[in-house]
Amino acid sequence: MPQDYDVTRQVWEGKVPVEFVLAAHECTIIDAPKPYYAMLPRISYFPLALERAYKYFMSAVDESEVNKDDVWLEYDGYPLKWHYPVGVLFDLHKTDDVLPWQITVHLKKFPEDDIIRCAGRDALESMFMQSLKEADQLKHRGEIVNTMQKRDHKQLWNGLVNDRFDQFWLVNKKLMENSGSNTFHFVPMRLYKTDKPYRQVLVKPMNEAAERTTLAEACRIFDPGFDSSSSRVVSHGVEVPLDTPVIWLAENLAYPDNFVHISILSS
Amino acid sequence: MLTLSRDRELCEMSEAPTESAAVEESPGESAAQEGEANKAAVQEGDGQSTAPEQQQQEEVARRPSVPTAAASGGKIEVLLKPVGDAPIMKQKKWSVETNKSVAWIIAFVRKYIKMNVSDSLFIYVNQCFAPSPDQSLGNLFDCFASDGKLVLHYSTTQAWG
Repeated sequence: MPQDYDVTRQVWEGKVPVEFVLAAHECTIIDAPKPYYAMLPRISYFPLALERAYKYFMSAVDESEVNKDDVWLEYDGYPLKWHYPVGVLFDLHKTDDVLPWQITVHLKKFPEDDIIRCAGRDALESMFMQSLKEADQLKHRGEIVNTMQKRDHKQLWNGLVNDRFDQFWLVNKKLMENSGSNTFHFVPMRLYKTDKPYRQVLVKPMNEAAERTTLAEACRIFDPGFDSSSSRVVSHGVEVPLDTPVIWLAENLAYPDNFVHISILSS
Repeated sequence: MLTLSRDRELCEMSEAPTESAAVEESPGESAAQEGEANKAAVQEGDGQSTAPEQQQQEEVARRPSVPTAAASGGKIEVLLKPVGDAPIMKQKKWSVETNKSVAWIIAFVRKYIKMNVSDSLFIYVNQCFAPSPDQSLGNLFDCFASDGKLVLHYSTTQAWG
């Protein structure tokens, strides 16, 4: 089944309004800077947006006092993992309806135990490509991503960074090939819950009864105790119906890294 | 030298109750020697628990470990294979807790082959991709193990893209 253009386009265009607030009390500042506002694509990553926010805040801070590597983001007491897509972090941590999403920018006391450091845009690109490769390993045993040219990989990354839907999908459709000898073996899925590391297990597109595996079935593979009456299953800010076939999710709701990222929240 | 580093390894494990026996030698590999080393290590550990270098290393090894919900408690078999000119590990098979992360195994291998914390070390799955440092070994095992083993290749340089 090919992609539903309207759905993939909507997924691409999903954005969240973010208000970055500097944790000014951690630095020597005469005039605390005003917050920095941005509309961030859900499918993007914080380090891409943070470069400008960082520059903005630096004008107010004694630069000799801070190290760029020590910058980290926090919401509601949770350090935000920079290598998760913005939309995943929003779905997972944002519990109220208040917008913009107010995120605290810390310049000190990096929480080494909770998050890893981002060594810049190159590190993010590398992480993104490895995740894409992992997804294709699950879908096509890596055969498609490994036969791509370097420039195809670049095109995927640049398409994401520069918000070019067509540029990205021109290459991404090859990774989405699901017919003939390139039928998906497994659906790349990660399941998130607050306070726990994400889970990733093998989910087949078809179940043992030769029917399409549904999201409810996949949730039970991840967590045998999954209770649909007390859980909300969310991706891209939308509560996903539990009878949705996972193959449809993989083809239409996957993030650019080709994984379907699902948050399970208590209702 | 390798034995020495093993001792230190076990010694560190013995110091941290929650981390105890996080890494064990697979059964059948010099069991007697293992017992001796373990005993010695426990004693050494008690005596030198404040050695700064040791503490620092222990911290590095423990830091990235994360508790996993569904995969906690169990252990998996991990097979570590060198790539290119990465030093060979005398012991290749390890039994590791599923909630350990990729960052943890990188720190472990780095220490075993006596690399500096600042030296780069890459871990690959299926000779294809480098998993995220916070990915749990349990997840990788569930998705990529074959014959009941998770095979990880380690390299001092980027080996596969």
